[in-house]
Amino acid sequence: MRALKLLAAAMMVITLSGCWDNIDINHRVLPVVMGVSKHDGEYLIYLQIPEPMQNTTQIKIVKGKGSTINHAVDDISANLEDRVDLLHVKVIVLDKKYAEAGLEDTISDFMRGRDVSPKTLVTICDEDMDHFFSLVKKKMGPKGTTLYDFFEKNAGWNPQIALTRVWEVYRSIHSYTRDVAVPIIRSGDTTVVQHIGSAVIRKGKMVSQINSEETLLFNAFQRESTQGKIEVMHHASVLVIGNSLEVHSQMDGQTPILRCKLKLKVVILETKEHPTSDMIMKELNEGLTHQFNHMFARLQGSGADILGTGQYFRSKIPRSELKDWRTAFYPKLKLDLQVQTIIENTGFLELS
Amino acid sequence: MDKSLHVVLMYGLTQLGFIFFFYSGDIISSTTEGHWLAIVIGLVLNLVMVWLYMKGLGYFPKQDIISIYSAVGKWAAVLFLLPLVFFLFITNIITIRAFSEVITLVFLANTPLWAIMALIITLSGYIALNGVESIFRTGVLLAILFLPVILFTICISFQNVDFRYFFPVMDEKFSFLARPPYWHSFAAFAGSFLFLGFIQPYVAYRPKYVLMTVAALVPFYFIAVYVPLFTFGQATASTFKFPFIVLMSTIHINWLMFDRITMFLLLCLVTFTMLFISMVLWKLSQVLHRCLPKVKPSYFVIAIAAANFIGCLFITNWDEIQSLVMWNTMLRFFVMVGIPCSIWLLGIRAKRMIKDEGA
Repeated sequence: MRALKLLAAAMMVITLSGCWDNIDINHRVLPVVMGVSKHDGEYLIYLQIPEPMQNTTQIKIVKGKGSTINHAVDDISANLEDRVDLLHVKVIVLDKKYAEAGLEDTISDFMRGRDVSPKTLVTICDEDMDHFFSLVKKKMGPKGTTLYDFFEKNAGWNPQIALTRVWEVYRSIHSYTRDVAVPIIRSGDTTVVQHIGSAVIRKGKMVSQINSEETLLFNAFQRESTQGKIEVMHHASVLVIGNSLEVHSQMDGQTPILRCKLKLKVVILETKEHPTSDMIMKELNEGLTHQFNHMFARLQGSGADILGTGQYFRSKIPRSELKDWRTAFYPKLKLDLQVQTIIENTGFLELS
Repeated sequence: MDKSLHVVLMYGLTQLGFIFFFYSGDIISSTTEGHWLAIVIGLVLNLVMVWLYMKGLGYFPKQDIISIYSAVGKWAAVLFLLPLVFFLFITNIITIRAFSEVITLVFLANTPLWAIMALIITLSGYIALNGVESIFRTGVLLAILFLPVILFTICISFQNVDFRYFFPVMDEKFSFLARPPYWHSFAAFAGSFLFLGFIQPYVAYRPKYVLMTVAALVPFYFIAVYVPLFTFGQATASTFKFPFIVLMSTIHINWLMFDRITMFLLLCLVTFTMLFISMVLWKLSQVLHRCLPKVKPSYFVIAIAAANFIGCLFITNWDEIQSLVMWNTMLRFFVMVGIPCSIWLLGIRAKRMIKDEGA
């Protein structure tokens, strides 16, 4: 019996060592950024791979072609001396034209497969991908994580940038009442990337676009913190230090009505021509309300509910009807936004 | 000696694996609204059955259900224990196979299934070989090591919830009662409380604490179903095979040095499930040992483990697991409802007989 136990233990060593089909880390390549574009029915995949050299890291951009994404990655893997492992992809850059044609398959494949994590960030690139990646390679620092840091909340993220992950895009494909905004970037003149707004994705298809200012309002509507954003107006510029949102929903027959109150806490940074605090508040409220209404009209026209307004009616519309939220109710939705500004302080100076 | 803690931990841990892997998916695919109703009905049935079972067992101190049925007659033993044996055997195959599948899906993509299944069955078999006390001791150890991790992952699973997905609240047609996935969801309850009837000769426990555990597990059932729903919404969550596992992989924490929190949850739950498998092996060996008293129970454990492993090898894909689960449905309800009720009725009868004799 004792011999049997020993034998069993010895066999465990073989199975438990974790060496099964193992590929050592120096034989793997771990891309950080993946670009996806589609031309004439063929996927083009770009992988940005950090390569550790002596004392520093260099960035390599490799490109592959295939009829599916996995096929293209496999193509790259076959041509590289190491095996490609998508486990650590942090950002996926999608071609704008491809996003306009519809992303459903790609996103579903990412969710199905075990390689790409569902929390990978999604962005859309507004220029030719070849051009984008060649410029990125030229400008990127030695760490190679610039694109990732750009979106990281504890690094370069700003409140006017939408933050969307693969699983959120996937949710928008299936959800009855929710769409997403995906940040749009292009290569910058002096910086690596330049943020130019957000793409409005409806059921996995890009249908419209909003600018950075509007994305800020979108983020505020998502109860995302807008802390740190500077609002410039005619008479002053203020720093947003806090925001909250109150929403009240009601159904008037078949017309959904949403009353929202956005509270902004601001600090005054600069003033011009001695405005009073009432003037500043009024200017800010009117400016933001106008901007919001403008954006909302466009969103409503595109039929994409990125604000998630349908969520507020889940308790009021039965599920069988909620299915048609985007077509039957959303176009009729009346949204009334009030902005309420609180000037928390005016710095060391009194407002005259 | 009172070993309520051991028993209670065993009862709780063996359910957790099922709750987070299979229960959430089953409930989400069985109804589109009013999931709480489906959960509550299951929980109430479970509570009633556990209570009846323990009440019935209370009439037979220091006896296990094998001797209770044998005392009534051979027919009773065959009628109740034969389905039980089949149920436990099939459950074991399904559990081993399904959990190995989950492991390959989540992280061991290149490892062949048979290796994972062999690992699971060897470890569980080894625990079962050492008898019921060692199963309980392992249970306590696993609870100390892994319960805090599980609680941590559950806390952070709330990261992306949107409580408005709770609505619509009611499913007025109770349509889920007729859906196979709903029947499958009872796998989380059935099988895990049966061991209470096997351990009476070995350890003593207080029924009160078991009932308290039943209550303590209620939040886990709701969390397993509702957190994926709150995060993804019904329409999206129903497209996932394992909603809670996908949910865990969407959690993003900056300050945690580990990228994939799914791993913590998965590995902890797999150890709990190994505990479950070893318990089932032990139960099976007990029943078979009573039929053939000449053979040592440990030989039965090895034989059953080997048979289970071979059975697992015959299952080639996920659909076959599903159809096996489907076949097991009848047995599951028979075991879950039939055994507690019969034990309770036999208990009442035995009590009356004692009274009659006394008078």
